[in-house]
Order: sequence, then C-alpha cells, then structure tokens
Amino acid sequence: MAEPILVVDDVQVEFKTRAGVARVLDGVSFSIEKGRTLGIVGESGCGKSMTALSIMGLIPSPPGQVVGGSIRLNGENLFEAKERRMREIRGNEISMIFQEPLTSLNPVFSCGEQIAETIRLHEGLSRKDANDKAVEMIRSVGIPNPRRRAKEYPHQMSGGMRQRLMIAMALACSPSVLIADEPTTALDVTVQAQIFDLLRELQDSFNTAIIMITHDMGAIADMADRVMVMYAGRVIEEGTVDAILDAPLHPYTQGLIDCVPHLEAETPAERPPLMEIPGVVPPLTALGKGCAFAPRCAHVHARCRGEKPRSVEYAGDHRASCFKLEAEEAAV
Amino acid sequence: MTNETDPVLGVVDLKVHFQRARSNPFLPKETVHAVDGVSFEVRRGSTFGIVGESGSGKSTTALSVTRLQHITSGKVLIDGEDITHLKGDALRAVRRRVQIIFQDPFSSLDPRRRAGAIVREPMDLLGVGEPGERDRMVSELFERVGLRPEQTALFPHQFSGGQRQRIGIARALATRPALVVCDEPVSALDVAIQAQILNLLRKLQDEFGLTYLFISHDLGVVQYVCDEIAVMYLGEIVEQGDRISLFSNPQHPYTQALLSAVPSAHRDRRKAPGRVKLLGDPPSPINLPEGCRFAGRCIYAQERCRAEPPKLRSIEDGHLVACHYAEKLEATPA
Repeated sequence: MAEPILVVDDVQVEFKTRAGVARVLDGVSFSIEKGRTLGIVGESGCGKSMTALSIMGLIPSPPGQVVGGSIRLNGENLFEAKERRMREIRGNEISMIFQEPLTSLNPVFSCGEQIAETIRLHEGLSRKDANDKAVEMIRSVGIPNPRRRAKEYPHQMSGGMRQRLMIAMALACSPSVLIADEPTTALDVTVQAQIFDLLRELQDSFNTAIIMITHDMGAIADMADRVMVMYAGRVIEEGTVDAILDAPLHPYTQGLIDCVPHLEAETPAERPPLMEIPGVVPPLTALGKGCAFAPRCAHVHARCRGEKPRSVEYAGDHRASCFKLEAEEAAV
Repeated sequence: MTNETDPVLGVVDLKVHFQRARSNPFLPKETVHAVDGVSFEVRRGSTFGIVGESGSGKSTTALSVTRLQHITSGKVLIDGEDITHLKGDALRAVRRRVQIIFQDPFSSLDPRRRAGAIVREPMDLLGVGEPGERDRMVSELFERVGLRPEQTALFPHQFSGGQRQRIGIARALATRPALVVCDEPVSALDVAIQAQILNLLRKLQDEFGLTYLFISHDLGVVQYVCDEIAVMYLGEIVEQGDRISLFSNPQHPYTQALLSAVPSAHRDRRKAPGRVKLLGDPPSPINLPEGCRFAGRCIYAQERCRAEPPKLRSIEDGHLVACHYAEKLEATPA
C-alpha cells in the first residue's frame, strides 16, 4: 500500500462552554493515501466538521483547544507548525470545499479575482499569469465561457456553478489533500452527479487525496474508498466502503444506513415502518463514562453504561468499537 | 356531505406567474413562469407526491393549494368546492380543511410562544371545538405526535429539531384537516431523525384518515411515502403515475435522468458510469424555449421537440407522460 500522505493520530479537541468542557474530538485517528477518498459520516454534532477544521488548523481558539494527538502531512506535524507555515499549507497543500458555496465566496470580488488571489499568494505568479491560470481552472471545472464568467460575480451564478467555482479555487494550487465538507448538500441530485464526476476526474489527474464529509450514505457509496463513522467525537467504525455498507458492524452504522428510505430499482410493494434510531445525539458536555451511543442503542447492556468500548479489528481492515461485537467474537 | 370516492384536492390548469422588476426601463417587464398549467387530483386517504429540482415550481404549487400564494389563473378545488377566489370567512373555513407542515422547524414556530399555545392557536382562530375543551385537545395531540402533555409549557428552543417538527405536525392537525400539505417535511432534519418523522406521518395518516400532498426532492423518501407521484420540470408536470409504475418504468427522459442521478447505498448499487447524464443547467423560467422545455438537455431530442411542446398524455392506465417519443426511447441504461 502506498505511503499515507496524511496521518491523523489520537487527536483530542476540547471546547470550553458555559455548560462545561465539551470534548468534541476524542482520540480520532485515521490516515489517507494519495488518490484515495475517505468518507466521514455521522449526524450533526458528531465531530465530522471539527475533524476537518483541526486538519486545516482552523479550530477557533478560544473556546476550542487541541489537547492531544498529532496530524502529520508528509511527516510534518501540523500541530507544531507556526501560523505562517499553516498559511502556506492552507489552500496550497490542503484545501477545503465548504457546504454553502454562496456564503463561502466573497460577493464583492469577481469569481476570477478570488481564484487568482489564491494562485498569486501561493505560487507567486504575476497578476496577469494568475488571472490566466484562474480562467484555465474555471474551464477545467466545466463552466462554459470561462473568460466571461471569470469577470462575473458570485450572485450571477447558479448553485451548481458556485460549487464548481469553489472546487476550482480549492484545486487551483493542486493540493495533495482536499477536504469536502458536505459539498453537494445544498445542490439538486442531477447537479450533485455532475459535481461528483468532476471531483473524480480531477482526482485522477492530480492524484489528490479527498476527505469527504457527508451524512448521505448514497454519496458515500458513490465516492468513497474507505469510510469512517463518527459518533459524539469518536470514530466508532472504520472500513472499506463495501464492508461498511454491506456488512456494517456497529448498531449506529446499521441504523444510519437503514433509517433513510433508499431509492430502490424495483419499487417494493410492501412498506414496513422504517427503522428508527430513537432520541438525539447527547450533549458533549454531559457524556458519561460509558459508550456515548448506549442511551439510543437497541442492544445496550450493563457494561455499555459503565465503560467505553475499545476499537477492535474484526474482518480484515474493518474496525469497530462495540461490546456486543466483542462478546460475539469471544463466543466464537 | 362529501363522497368518499371524490378527490379531496383538484388542481385545474394552475398558473402562477411572477412579474419581475424591470431591469432596464426600455425593456418590457419580465415574467417568471413558476407554475405553468398544472393539473392533478388527489384521492382521499392517499399521498400524492410532487418531485422536482429547485425552481421546478413544486413548492409554489403547494402554497397555491393552501391559498398562501397568489394564483394567476386556473382553479383549486377542495372537496369539489372552488376555493381559488374565496375571501374572508369563507377562506377561513377552507383553511380548517387544508393545513401545511413546513420544511424548517426552526423558523416556522414563534420563538416567544409556548408549544401548547402554538398548537392551540389555529383552534382559537378557526373555532375548532369548545374553548374549554381546547387545552385537553392540545394535550391529546401532543401524545398522538409522540410528545408528552407536560411539554406544552415549554418554548420552541427547548426542543430538538425532530421534536419541533412534531409540534409543527400537531399544529397542522389541530383543525382536523382533510388535506395536509407537507412541504419538504424531513429535508431539514438530521438523517437519524427523518425515519421518526416519516413513520409518524404514516401512522397519523392511518389514524386520522389524512390525505397528504407531499413535496420533496428526495426520491428515496418519495418512493417510500407516496402512492402517486408527479414529476415537475420548469413549472410543468412532465410525468405522473403510481409509485410502482413511475419508479419501475419511468418514461420521460428527465425522470430517467433524475432517478439515475441518485447515488444508491444498496447492495445492487450502480456505479456512476452507467448513468443517464444531464448536461448544463435548466433554462431560465423567464425566457422559456418554444418546444419541449427539456429539449435542450435531452439526449433524445429531435427536431420536433424544439418546435412543438409535448402534451401530457396517457401511455398506460394512470401513467401520464409529456414526451413526443416516450414509448420509442430505449430502456434506461442499466
């Protein structure tokens, strides 16, 4: 297997709030190789976006604070890097696409200028060369009339086009890691399909590693090679996309897959009630010492409330943290 | 009294056009054709789904049915009664029979009122039940939607997103409506909560004999919830059919593209290459093309499609499609 480009190891992030200290990331570890896509799934408040922000070095501090672990990009520990170095890395080696293309673009600069700015800062090109490269990037994400479009402003574009511009900006300096935080949630399905095709094409040509954050299992099936499921700041299951979707181990992962009606090729005549995950994600300031999912879990027993399950490797390269699985494994 | 077999809702050639402000004093005013000649009927006790992408006119249609939207022309019939031009008390009487559940449970509840008062308000305004009875009716509704009666005293911010949507549902049911318009009722909710709300809507439909007009862009949800479905594109219905025939045998190229664009998490999932791809963006609803509105993005488009708009026609029992060449297209690529 290729050398991983990004290694996240046992990252701990805490936020001080009025209600107490919330541990928003609790021992998050994973790695990703060049040209591969890792999907991160979970409900809101599970730590998906916090994982992304910690990689970018954008955890708001205060109230947030990294209290442990390391993130290594090509071996360089980003938690020890100076802000000046982080600025070189952001947008150049690691880029991010945000969920809301309209709020992430500056309304008073033309689209071309915004992309050219990134290129000028990181690659030291002249204004003219940077503008030419910006036009080239706009062309490469499939926007017709790139030269004219580069002079237009974000409000003159449709949602799909804005998201393409975000991608053009994120990829302008050919980053080695691209973080896409719910890149298509605000878009229609036909546009989503276009954006996914585009990301795949660009990944092939630049060999970019993509971290895709989403709550949509369909999007995961479409894009990801590996999947990481998060709950209350911890990674509760990790494996290949086929393993996670076809043979999920953790009850939470099973719930996430089954609780949404998926579009079926053959419409089933019967409509049994959907599987529900009762309750909501617990507040992170009030996590007990047990498994955070225990209050919502159908398979809960006494041990789950008393201690946190460790991450255990089951079938090759498929890990999960759940006492039920440990008990079943021991019984075999 | 209304007949059981009569449709609860009839929509006849509904048009909703918006005038845009003049962008240039020398040009004529521009008209946005948000809904442009839509007709359908909804059977009592069934769920009728409208799907389409943003800008297709599905939400405008929903708002017109509740008379929350100015109607340019056409008719809306509730239990056979034309409500298109009703005013004052007559309109209020209709509002008892037609209620709506909104998409965003955060902005659709008044933050300064207690949950119980929010649910009671339509009863007071529309005169449902005896005033002394209403608090008991509110408590009962809270239980029916899966909340506790003592939670009537709380404010909206003290509830989670899923619970707020339950309050929204209780408010919609407070007047014992025949028709409930659900405008994207689960799309603002977290994935794990969607199942709770969808199961609740189906349970309530059985208990109260409700009829739903269900607006959604999520095709998986629509396939699960709806009995009959209309697919909208640029203000028009391009295909309509029952859930089995529409999803198993989509005839309009747009429906085919829409269905194949949904990534599937299933065991039999198709990977992207087998898809019908749509190119470009939809044309603007201001300067509509002369022929078929979908022709510019359709892989099957012929000369005739650009000249002559196709009419919605029946191709088999209850399955309508607006495409000149529907039966002659190849099957959806597997």
